[in-house]
Amino acid sequence: MSPFTSIQLQLSDYTGTILYAISLLFFIVYGFYGARIQVYFALSDIGRGLNKLKVMKDKARKETIEYLTNTGKTPTDPTERIDQFLDYVTIMPVDIDPQGLVGKIDHVVTTRNDRVRAEVGALITKNDPMTVSVSENLLEVASSLNMIHKIVRHYYLLGKKTNSYFTLVQLQMIMPMIIQEADALLNAIDSFKVGQPVGDGIGPVIASRYMVGREKQPIAKDTVMAISEYKGRKLYVVKAEGPMAYVGQPGVAMQKIIEEMGVKPSAIIMVDAALKLEGEKSGEIAEGVGAAIGGIGVEKFQIEEVATKHKIPLYAILIKQSILEAITVMRKEIAEASDKVVQTLNRVIEEKTHEGDDVVIAGIGNTIGVAQ
Amino acid sequence: MMSSVPATEKKSKLLVYTIEECPVCGQKTKRAFQVGDYITKEASKCPKCGNTSRIILIYGESERVK
Repeated sequence: MSPFTSIQLQLSDYTGTILYAISLLFFIVYGFYGARIQVYFALSDIGRGLNKLKVMKDKARKETIEYLTNTGKTPTDPTERIDQFLDYVTIMPVDIDPQGLVGKIDHVVTTRNDRVRAEVGALITKNDPMTVSVSENLLEVASSLNMIHKIVRHYYLLGKKTNSYFTLVQLQMIMPMIIQEADALLNAIDSFKVGQPVGDGIGPVIASRYMVGREKQPIAKDTVMAISEYKGRKLYVVKAEGPMAYVGQPGVAMQKIIEEMGVKPSAIIMVDAALKLEGEKSGEIAEGVGAAIGGIGVEKFQIEEVATKHKIPLYAILIKQSILEAITVMRKEIAEASDKVVQTLNRVIEEKTHEGDDVVIAGIGNTIGVAQ
Repeated sequence: MMSSVPATEKKSKLLVYTIEECPVCGQKTKRAFQVGDYITKEASKCPKCGNTSRIILIYGESERVK
């Protein structure tokens, strides 16, 4: 037997022991440093997502500046002013005494919207309603992305600084959803810039079918109403004023129709886009009861108040879509659902009201690219 | 636990179309979206009866790209 073969045999005798020692060492190291290893992986994962968010918010800012400069024809470089807008904050009212809270929120939000519109109007020289409304929406998108990036960065740095495994893992788990929402916001810019209807505009599309060719009258800020007729029923149709990128004030409009104009509707029917659950098809229609409207809650409160006070049943027709589809150009399957929505709406009118009744119909959503 | 930021979803290019409909004969035409188009806008003459068509829909159709 050669000396080399002897060493080989000796080594093979120790192989099991060596492997056992290594695995034991691994478990000991992992026992002591497991959390740190997880923190390392979480940090690198979140770091990648954070970089993506930074690219997105920078792109949104750049696109907004370009739109205001090229389309809005700003006389001077708007970069500094836009950067100030991106950090614009809205301080919500105190809620420890909730009485009258909705009115306060409404006041604060209205003040904010009025100020943004006035400042955008002053910033651009081509201040027609379409350009101003698109500029407002682009600023909103850029501001939202800026805020998302800031918040994620805050928790990333906080987790890193405190070596907090649980802070980082929570952030890591929701990161895919944050990126998805940010991506949807970024994609919305392209549709808004050229005035294409977005998925959220399906409600206004349906309302416009009942308004076209009829006389329109302003009923609330950025909101119009037309009186139409269907099988002996008088329809009061409400939508935001298009084709600007407005959402209007349907709550105020309904209060005016019912309390100021003295209309006594037998039903209020609201048509709106609704976020689908995973597995549901885009363009699916769901019926229900209640105020079909999203947002901060002010409009929903106003509609529920007036409907409850006058005991008017509230019916809802919802068109399912994802968050991406809701804020980017309207997809074929959603647009093509409009005929079916009109049929459903007509059926609800026939079933829930009688000839000679008044009915309020509201098309809820951003009405960009949808006139009336 | 080891969730990760999803890989970029398969990019699908959206082609945006405008659908015009003649209010008289119901003839529908489909064309590429042009800036300035909006729903309810009066559009071109109907190729069938010559009446003014109206834009009834604007939508995007996805086309898979490699």
